[in-house]
Amino acid sequence: MVRAPRSSSFARLLLALAAVLASAPVFTQPARPATPPDISGEWRLENNEEDTTAQPPLGEYLGIPFNEAGRLRSDTTAESIWGTPEYQCRPHSAPHQWRGLGGARILKEQDPLTREVKVYHIQFMRSLDRPIFMDGRPRPPAYAPHSWTGFSTGEWVGNTLKITATHFKDGYLKRGGPQVSDMYSMTEFITRHGDLLTIVSVTDDPVYQDEPYVQSTTYQIDPTGSVAMETCNGSSFAENGGTDRHHVPHFLPGQNADARAEWLKDQSWIPPQAALGGVKTTYPEYRATLNGAISESALTVPSSKSAINLDQRIAAQAPRDGEVHVLPVQGNVYMLVVDGYNITASVGQDGVLMVNTGPANMTEKLQAAVNQLATMVEAQRTTNSCAGANCPGAWGWSSPYMNAVISSPAPPRPLRYIINTSASPENVGGNEKLATSGFFPRVQGFGTAVTNVGRGASIVAHENVLNRMQTPVGKQPAAPAVAQPTDTYFDEFHKLPEYVNGEAIIVYYAPKATTDGDSIVFFRHSEVISAGSLYSTVSYPVIEVDKGGSIQGVLDGLNKILDLAVAEYRAQGGTWIIPGRGRLSDTADVASYRNMIHIIRDRVQDMIKKGMTLEQVKAAKPTLDFDRRYGSTTGAWTTDMFVEAVYRSLREKK
Amino acid sequence: MRNVILLLCAFVLVGGVARAHHSYGATYDTKKEIKLEGKLAQFVYRNPHSFVHMTAKDENGEMQRWAVEWSGTAQLANSGVQRDSLKVGDDIVVTGRPSRVPGEYRILMVRLVRPSDGFTWGSGAGQVVD
Repeated sequence: MVRAPRSSSFARLLLALAAVLASAPVFTQPARPATPPDISGEWRLENNEEDTTAQPPLGEYLGIPFNEAGRLRSDTTAESIWGTPEYQCRPHSAPHQWRGLGGARILKEQDPLTREVKVYHIQFMRSLDRPIFMDGRPRPPAYAPHSWTGFSTGEWVGNTLKITATHFKDGYLKRGGPQVSDMYSMTEFITRHGDLLTIVSVTDDPVYQDEPYVQSTTYQIDPTGSVAMETCNGSSFAENGGTDRHHVPHFLPGQNADARAEWLKDQSWIPPQAALGGVKTTYPEYRATLNGAISESALTVPSSKSAINLDQRIAAQAPRDGEVHVLPVQGNVYMLVVDGYNITASVGQDGVLMVNTGPANMTEKLQAAVNQLATMVEAQRTTNSCAGANCPGAWGWSSPYMNAVISSPAPPRPLRYIINTSASPENVGGNEKLATSGFFPRVQGFGTAVTNVGRGASIVAHENVLNRMQTPVGKQPAAPAVAQPTDTYFDEFHKLPEYVNGEAIIVYYAPKATTDGDSIVFFRHSEVISAGSLYSTVSYPVIEVDKGGSIQGVLDGLNKILDLAVAEYRAQGGTWIIPGRGRLSDTADVASYRNMIHIIRDRVQDMIKKGMTLEQVKAAKPTLDFDRRYGSTTGAWTTDMFVEAVYRSLREKK
Repeated sequence: MRNVILLLCAFVLVGGVARAHHSYGATYDTKKEIKLEGKLAQFVYRNPHSFVHMTAKDENGEMQRWAVEWSGTAQLANSGVQRDSLKVGDDIVVTGRPSRVPGEYRILMVRLVRPSDGFTWGSGAGQVVD
């Protein structure tokens, strides 16, 4: 008989102890099963709770905890918006996706060593792949893009997979009109009961709801099923008729009111007030208002509140923290968030090109960040991969091997171009210092700088920017000469005279937009557009009517961006659009913003036609359904100021 | 019999796809009907919905380009409409449901007639966009 050595038994004991210790967290954290239930496979929607896939009647908001803004936004949304080029390929919005047709597929992506699930992938007929990250990775910053599927992380709580998702685009809560903003979060609880899968989703949209909206959906395992893929037949197809590709279908407030009355007249058992939704209507206590026992205003219900601090969530897209945050975008292009203002930078072998220079007080930090970025991009050392006299690029007959190993990296190339998209202080604040630090080979004679211009970076802008910066206003003197544009244009666009960092860069004029000197910058190979002040994801556009700005000009500029941009797939990604402030965006985001501007223009225009004064227009709240998202009652640009600018620019356009 | 069931299943699936794209009832005012007389500008035979584009006058007598939404390809094929059934330039008369959005040149096909040869869609069995 051979006994195991004592040391081996001791080792086993230690191992057992270690296992006990390792399992200790099980008792202090939510219980994660040793082997989580397998939720992967093909699943078929069980339409047994209500007709989940059907189109509810127009204006039917039963059970939706809408606030006033959510109701107005939904009432004025036209279904034919789906015929516009930017909407035709959109998938279902996430809150409705579990209830869409075609079943669901859940796949597992496992770590090959531990065999643990790193990522679940959920797919639907017309959705994009939705990854659920199980590896504990952090959430992206708020200035990162939003998508149809959002950013989702998962954890097992007992036998239930809890998914927490943010970074969604705006869309709809359910078909037929009820809308959600781009600020909502979703928490989903997925539980498997034998062959059934129960999904409870909690949609928390503080813009349009007074409390989170909860719904459950059931799926059944379908071993022979296979989720079909529905391709999109392409955008820019004129489904809405007419010849205006920028047509935005919508209803003016009250214009579609008969739609609700239409279906309600055959549903006499539904109290009309309840059909409007609202948090009180979703509680049993509401019945007391129907028999007159209590008025709706006096009724209190034990409602829950949104878990989202909306103001903070919006502000986080443009953090005013005195820092510079760098977000790589695409190709040569980076987005730099500079104390809440976005700078676009192209960095490469030709040097640096910047669109705008940020607030003046941030110049040093911006310069340091750009230098660091340029060093990282241009001077990054890699291991030598070629040895011998025949290495490509070898000068003479010696191998580059030794030099590659012993030499230090070349310094980064200098700032060559600044493009100012307007003369606003946040766009030109760093011009003076940054342009001076740059280099543009502008010579009078060999080796001599042009008088009064120097050899600093070229500053490109529309000529109206130069005019404004040259002209003292009140006590404010003209901008220093070195901060003023050196190369202006006056036409509808201006092409930089040569490739910069391997690509064409075109500056488009956006007349009468936020001012009379706005530009949009298109990086043609990187597929990035720098939108300047025309577009923000954190506020209404700052329209300076006294400086030639107008709501129509902003709208035209946004449409110009949409004309230039192309989505990658399913109406997202592709051409990236960097807003003046806020998160990195794509065509879908700009289309939503454009739609808002279009809708507000139409509403105010209609009020002007009716002879309403500015005060009457303000009192009528033409921006009500967008105010919680983009409006402000305090600060340098309030909703009141925006409405006044819209009103004035429409009144004065003739 | 098995083929019939398969065909029926396929029809249901295609119908489902069409239904999920957008709602006819929400897009069009199904209680109203308008009539357009004009020329066919384009026939887009596709899924989930086909479209006839035609030029015709609006209620103010101004010529417009209209988009007439029709069924998907499977349903049209079943009712005798093929990709080459209509030609650009054909004189056609279309009756349909107008868009709910005022001023939008979009309608839902109810009936199409080509007077030159009497080609008609909209009065036979299954010739309904749903």
